[in-house]
Amino acid sequence: MRSIEEFTRPLEYVTPLDKVLGDLVKSWAENEVMPVRRQFDEDWERHEIILPAFKKLMAEYGLQRAPFPEDLGGMGLGRSDATCVAVFRVFEHIARADSGMGLAFGAHIWPMEFITFKPHENRRLCEEFAPIFCDTTRPVFAAMVMTEPQGGSDIENVEIIKGSTLQTTAVREGDEWVINGHKLWASNTGGLAELMAVYCTTNPGSEDLNDFAVIFVPSNTPGVTHGKPYEKAGMATDMNSDVWFEDVRVPVWYRAIGPGEDAKWVGEIMSTGNMGIIAWYVGSMMNIYERLQEFLEPRKYRGRPLKEDDGVAGALADFASTIEALRILGYQSARMLDRQDLYGERWKPKAVAKARAHRYFAADKSLEAVGKVMNLMEAYGADRDWDVEKHWRDLKIIQLVEGSKQLCQIEVARWFFECETL
Amino acid sequence: MAQLDIFHYPRSRLKDVDLALASSLEGMLEKEVTSKRLELKEDYENLLRPSLEKILVGIGMQKMLWPEALGGEDHNKPDVSYTIVSALEQAARADVGLAFLAAHSLSLQAAMALEGNYDEDACRAFAPLFCDGSAPVIVSFVLATYGKGEVSPLKGGKYPQVIATSAGDGWVLNGKDIRPSCSGADADLFGVLCSVESEDEPAFVVMPGDASGLYRGAEFKKTGLAASRNAEISLSDVKVPAVNCLWRGEEGFRRLLSWYYLGLAGAGVGALLASYELIKEWGDTRVIKGRGHIFKDNPLTAALMGEIAKEISVSRLLAYDLAGLLAEPETYGDAGSQSIFVAASMIAHDIYSTAENTIHRIMELMASAGYAKEWQLERYWRDVKTVQCYMGSAELAKHDYARWFYQTKTL
Repeated sequence: MRSIEEFTRPLEYVTPLDKVLGDLVKSWAENEVMPVRRQFDEDWERHEIILPAFKKLMAEYGLQRAPFPEDLGGMGLGRSDATCVAVFRVFEHIARADSGMGLAFGAHIWPMEFITFKPHENRRLCEEFAPIFCDTTRPVFAAMVMTEPQGGSDIENVEIIKGSTLQTTAVREGDEWVINGHKLWASNTGGLAELMAVYCTTNPGSEDLNDFAVIFVPSNTPGVTHGKPYEKAGMATDMNSDVWFEDVRVPVWYRAIGPGEDAKWVGEIMSTGNMGIIAWYVGSMMNIYERLQEFLEPRKYRGRPLKEDDGVAGALADFASTIEALRILGYQSARMLDRQDLYGERWKPKAVAKARAHRYFAADKSLEAVGKVMNLMEAYGADRDWDVEKHWRDLKIIQLVEGSKQLCQIEVARWFFECETL
Repeated sequence: MAQLDIFHYPRSRLKDVDLALASSLEGMLEKEVTSKRLELKEDYENLLRPSLEKILVGIGMQKMLWPEALGGEDHNKPDVSYTIVSALEQAARADVGLAFLAAHSLSLQAAMALEGNYDEDACRAFAPLFCDGSAPVIVSFVLATYGKGEVSPLKGGKYPQVIATSAGDGWVLNGKDIRPSCSGADADLFGVLCSVESEDEPAFVVMPGDASGLYRGAEFKKTGLAASRNAEISLSDVKVPAVNCLWRGEEGFRRLLSWYYLGLAGAGVGALLASYELIKEWGDTRVIKGRGHIFKDNPLTAALMGEIAKEISVSRLLAYDLAGLLAEPETYGDAGSQSIFVAASMIAHDIYSTAENTIHRIMELMASAGYAKEWQLERYWRDVKTVQCYMGSAELAKHDYARWFYQTKTL
C-alpha cells in the first residue's frame, strides 16, 4: 500500500528541525496514541487514558518546552525562521492519530507565542514561566482564554470589534492586576492548564486597542475556578470548561507585551492558529486514507475488487485529490508565515485574511471528502473501530475553533475587497 | 407543532387518524424523551428502550398494518404511507434512532400485510408476535453490501451476507460476520436477504432472534443511533420453516426497501425539523458583533438560515411526494417496481444528504453550541450520518438510477 508520504509537501521548505520533530512525533503517534485512541471518547471527563498518552510527547520528548528559549530549557521555536513549517509537520502527525491532541498542543503553544516569539519575546515572563514547563517530567499545559458568554467570535474579531465587547476586566491596583470575569470554551481548561493567557479589557466598552490586555494567570491563583469539562460530539482529548475569575490578583508584569501590542499580536495567534488547523485536517485525512486502503483491500463489488470499479474509483480519486491539494496548500500557508520578509508580517490583517481563507477552504473540502468516504464505507463508515467517524466528528469541531466560518468569510472579504464596515 | 406547519406538507392528504397519531407521538415523546434528555442523554435502558416500548406497544405502531382479525389495527391501505411519514417525523424529532427502529417494523409490516401484496400465510405466522405481546418487537434487516467473494453478486453488484439452502420444508441459513442494519445485539426478528445456493434469485427470509444457531457478537460503538444496539451476528445452520421465506427474486425486496426508504425519509425530515427548532431559538436570541445585532438579522447569517429553511421545506415536500407515490400504486406503479424503488431511493438519499449538509451549516452558525452535547444539535448530526451510512453508498445507488433512467446494458 502506498504511504501517506506520497502526498506531496513542498520539499524545498523542509528543514532539519522539521525532519527530526516529524519523525519523533510520528513514532509517538503510532506507539502511544493509535493503540488506545478508541477509548478516548469515554475518557472525556477524566483524561485517565489521554494524559498518559500525552506524557511522552509533552514531557519526555519535551514539546511543551518547545517555544521557550534554549538557554531556559526550551527548544527556541519562537526564535526560529522555520517555526511554522516545523509546527505544521508536528501537527500533521499528531492529528493523524488524534486531532483533539493537536488542538490541545496548539492551545498550549499559542499563548506562549505572546512571550516567546521574536520580535516581541518577553524575557522576564519567559524566565518566570519556563520552569513550569521545562523543569518537570509531567505533561503541563497552557491555555488561551478568550471566549465569553455574550459572544464567541466577537472576541477574536479584534480588527473591527477592538475588544469593545470584552467583559472580563483587568483593573490595575498598585503593582497588581485585579481580574474579574467569566470565560468559556478555552482548550485545556477544566482544570488541566496550569497557566492561562486571559483576554481582558482595562476599560470596558473601549475601542482603544491600548485597553485590550492579554494577562497571564497561573491556574492556582486564588479566585480562579475551573468548571467541569464540557461533553462534546468529539475531540475528547481537548478539555474545555467555564473559568471564573473573582478578584484574581497577578503582578502587573504578567501582561503579555503591553498596551497596543497585546492586541496587535493577537493577529499572529490567529494566523498561526489557522495554519495549524489546516495541518490537523491534512493529518486526519491522511489517516483516513490509510484506513480506507485497508477497508478496500478485501472487498468486492460486481465480482471485482471494490476499488477497481470505475464509479468507486472516481470517488477515491476525489478523496486523494483533496488531500494532495490541501497538503500543498497547508505547507505553503505555513511557509508564507515563516517568510515574513516575502509575504508580510504575520500579525497583519493581510496574513490573517489569507490564513483564514486557506483554513476555511480546507475545512469545507475536508468535511465534504470525509463525509463521502463514510458513505462509501456504508455501515462500517459509522464504526468506532474504523476510526473514520472519529476523524469526521473531530474535523467538524475543528472547523469551528478559533472563529466560525462566517468570521472567516468576513475577514477574507474585508481584506480582499477592502470592506470598511463588515 | 404549529410552528413547524410553516414548512408546507400536503395536510389535506392526511386523515384525522394520522394527525391524531402524530399529535399523540409528539406529546408522549416530549414528556418521555425530550424533557429527560439533559439528565439521561442517550441512556438506552432508562430512556430509549422505554420510549421504544411506548412507540411500538403503547401507541401501537407495531400493530398498525396487521389485519384486525389477527389483532392488528388494519391500517393497511397504501395511503398508510402518509401515516408513516407524519408519525416518523415526530418520532425523529425526539430521537432519530427511535424512528429508525420504527421504520424497520413498519416496512416489514408493509411487506407482509399491505393491501395488494397481502400475504395471508406470513401474516398468520408473524402478526401474533407483534399483536399479542406487551413487549416491543425489534426488527432488523440483513441487507446486501460489499462482498468478499463467497457468493455471486446480485444484479445491482452487491452481495447478500447470508446463504440459504433449501432443506425439506424449510431453509437453512449460514453466514459469518454479518452486519445487520440495526439492533444486532437485541433484535427479535431479522429480515434476511439471502443468496440461494445454486440459484440466481435471492430469497428474503424472516429469522427469529432466538433461532438456534444464531450467534450475536458484542455490541459495537458507532457514531450515533444509540437506540440501535448493533452487533455483528453469525449464522450456523439456522433452520427456519418455509413460510418464513416471504419471497424469491428482487421485486419483493425492492418493495420492502421502497417502504423502508419512506420511513427513513420521514425520520430524516424529523431530524431537520428538530434542527430548525434549535437554530430558530439561536437566531432569535443571539447577539453578534457587539452592537446589539440580532443574529438572524445579519445578512450573512440570514442568507444561510434562509438556505437552511429552503432545504428543510423541500425535503419535507419530497418525503410526502414519496408517500404520494406509494399511496397510489394503480397510478404510479407497485412499490416493487424499478420505477418506484429508484424514486424512493433517490428521495431518501437526497433527504439524508440534505440533512447532513443542513445540520453542518447549522453547527457552523451555532459554533461551539453546535457540537456541545448540552445543545442537542450534535446528536441529530451524528444520527443522520449514521442512518446515511446504513442506507448504503449514495455513490453506488446512482448506478441504480442510471440503470433505470438510461437503460444501461452491463452496469
